[in-house]
Amino acid sequence: MKTAFLSLSALIAALAFANPLTVSAAEVSLLNVSYDPTRELYQDFNAAFAKYWQAKAGDKVTVKASHGGSGKQARSIIDGLDADVATLALAYDVDQLADKGKLVPKDWQKRLPHNSSPYTSTIVFLVRKGNPKAIKDWDDVVKPGISVITPNPKTSGGARWNYLAAWAYALKKNNNDEAKAKEFVGKLYKNVPVLDTGARGSTTTFVERGIGDVLLAWENEAFLAQKELGPDKFEIVVPSLSILAEPPVTVVDKVVDKRKTRAVATAYLQYLYTEEGQEIAAKNYYRPRLESVVKKYEKQFPKINLVTIDSPFGGWQKAQATHFADGGVFDQIYQK
Amino acid sequence: MYLKRKKITQLLIASGVLLGSNFAFANDNDELEKLRTLVQELDQKVRVLDRKSELAAEEAVAKKKETPVLVASDKGFALESADKKFQFKLSGLLQADQRTFLDDDTTTGVAGGNLNDEYLLRRVRPTFSGTLFGIYDFRFTPDFAPNTPNVQDAFINARFTPWFKVQAGKFKVPGSLERLQSGGDIRFVERSYVANAILPNRDTGVQLHGDVLNGKLTYAAGIFDGQADGGSSGTSGSNNGDSNKDKEYALRVFAEPFKGSDTIFDGLGLGIAGTTGDFSKTAGSLANTNYRSAGQQTIFQYAADVLGDGQQTRISPQFYYYYGPFGVIGEYAKSSLDAKRGSNEATLDNDAWQIAATYVLTGENNSFKSIAPKRDFDLEKGGWGAWEIAARYSELNLDSRAFTGAAGVRFANAASTTKSAESWALGLNWYLNKNVKIQTTYEQTKFESALVNVRDRADEKALFTRFQVAF
Repeated sequence: MKTAFLSLSALIAALAFANPLTVSAAEVSLLNVSYDPTRELYQDFNAAFAKYWQAKAGDKVTVKASHGGSGKQARSIIDGLDADVATLALAYDVDQLADKGKLVPKDWQKRLPHNSSPYTSTIVFLVRKGNPKAIKDWDDVVKPGISVITPNPKTSGGARWNYLAAWAYALKKNNNDEAKAKEFVGKLYKNVPVLDTGARGSTTTFVERGIGDVLLAWENEAFLAQKELGPDKFEIVVPSLSILAEPPVTVVDKVVDKRKTRAVATAYLQYLYTEEGQEIAAKNYYRPRLESVVKKYEKQFPKINLVTIDSPFGGWQKAQATHFADGGVFDQIYQK
Repeated sequence: MYLKRKKITQLLIASGVLLGSNFAFANDNDELEKLRTLVQELDQKVRVLDRKSELAAEEAVAKKKETPVLVASDKGFALESADKKFQFKLSGLLQADQRTFLDDDTTTGVAGGNLNDEYLLRRVRPTFSGTLFGIYDFRFTPDFAPNTPNVQDAFINARFTPWFKVQAGKFKVPGSLERLQSGGDIRFVERSYVANAILPNRDTGVQLHGDVLNGKLTYAAGIFDGQADGGSSGTSGSNNGDSNKDKEYALRVFAEPFKGSDTIFDGLGLGIAGTTGDFSKTAGSLANTNYRSAGQQTIFQYAADVLGDGQQTRISPQFYYYYGPFGVIGEYAKSSLDAKRGSNEATLDNDAWQIAATYVLTGENNSFKSIAPKRDFDLEKGGWGAWEIAARYSELNLDSRAFTGAAGVRFANAASTTKSAESWALGLNWYLNKNVKIQTTYEQTKFESALVNVRDRADEKALFTRFQVAF
């Protein structure tokens, strides 16, 4: 009788596998939880990927997007937002998905090329036409009476890049004197009249509400504001030193396994590295990684002297603990 | 507020212009410039105040999202903190059955004939469950359907990591695949012999469990009081007190190697479960061990003075496979028990197996859990819910050594003469929505007598109908 059980089981399994019912096109949906200024990038990219995936796999894929301050978005995912992929502003926020949420493996960064950062950006200044306050570099931003718009580093990834770029400049200017760097960045935040939660909010404050003399902005966000509202209204100022921002991407393992979307979610991120994906990134003013696309868009991006998060900050974990954790340097500066 | 500030700003600008003209007229360009700057500064201040008030309003909306919420959904009713780390849920399962036995055999000398048709409450189980600190789950499920209500589940489960969880209390022993399927999700009105007659049901104990390899492999290893074949702790009495003094160890490993692969093998799961324990110190007899037919008729019991006399070991390979609307589940279980009755000692090997296939006619995805209809039953809108057909074959085979010897010597009690049962079942399940199901199963069983002078038990032809609400 046991052999009858085994034979019958094997027969049913064989029938199921040998005659794999009708494989029909499926409808798949993905949720990309991203940071604030990537709306336009992923709007274009999602449409391109949907076409690509339908041609490749025959499935109709719909990608929904959620945007907000990077830190806030990471917390939402940890709190249960079913993100198939997270495309955040900085690696520390994805680390939180691994450390606090156990949603991705600790070595998530090794899964895709360039430490899972398919594109880069940096921090520049957006000023009003004619640069009425003559802002040319970081020293001008900290002058008394200059109104600076930047979001809150506690909630925004872009704000943390802004802060660190200013810190790196001050360190270099003052022969790595941390106290002077703190004083410098403290002066900068004294000039900030309002802290938005995300980079897009700050752009709204500066561009639409007409507040401030200078917006510390993602390069892509500055280009976009200039494109949308016209070069007759805003100018981009490139500081003498800035920081290489490497926004990372990852599939959220717990979610894709639950929703059975791992294959399409992985393909979605891999598509960012293709020529087409890189072209879309470059068109949306993100600096591409692929050499052919880098060359094509060479003139679009100014050459800037860039520091990285590893030097002089010792990586994101250290930078976060020192500057942005509760009671860290930012809290000390901003409470003053 | 915004308009008011705007007006003030315009007035300031206007006054600035007027004043400026006067001063310009007086050729006082410095004063004019000062006023312009002042107006610009005031304008910026007004704009900042407006923006701050705008951000405060946005923050208030966001904070509203952080307040505890009362949730009423198809998953039950819950009160939960905004971060979902603290939850209290009320859910329930109610099954009202009709059991009809067709074609009763009333031949003299044939057991199992002339059975009573009945309406009955099969499960009446409210469940109170919840989570504390996002880690510690609890669950309490009484059952009011039996004549004496009992506690079905009462346990705490600490989810330290996905691969390391600790559960303690009374809960399902990690054994039968079909048993681990919720009573509200089973595809036939009654489970097969594997779950009902051989492998243990619920027991009191503690287990480590979790999943590894991104959920592709789950494990559970536990220590329990120990149950005889098909037994459940507290079914007919206290949930406390161990009838066999030693503990029973249970282990189950289940793999879904292609999980998340988007291939046809995605829904394949294979596993093995087993229990072992020393039953030689059994305090009471094994007479309460009840092997039942699909119609819940007792078909075999040990004699009142049969005792455990050594190890009881059970093993059960099992699998399921789901692809689109198709699903199949199969499991085998063998139990070996060292038993004695007076000087009669033997290792009794009983086994059972089942294989069941289901197909959702309305195209919904099949799964180990319940079916979620694409369109709920709604006469006005024209939805018909989900319809599923099911077929199963199962067997129970009892060791012929249980029937060796005279009535006062053999392990089987005097009324138990059936050594095997072969059942086939057909089912039709109608999922009106996620919570309401009407289920019909016809199950026919052929019995074989172990004794040459005793006729086979009458074929059991049972028609079950169930109305179920699960939320």
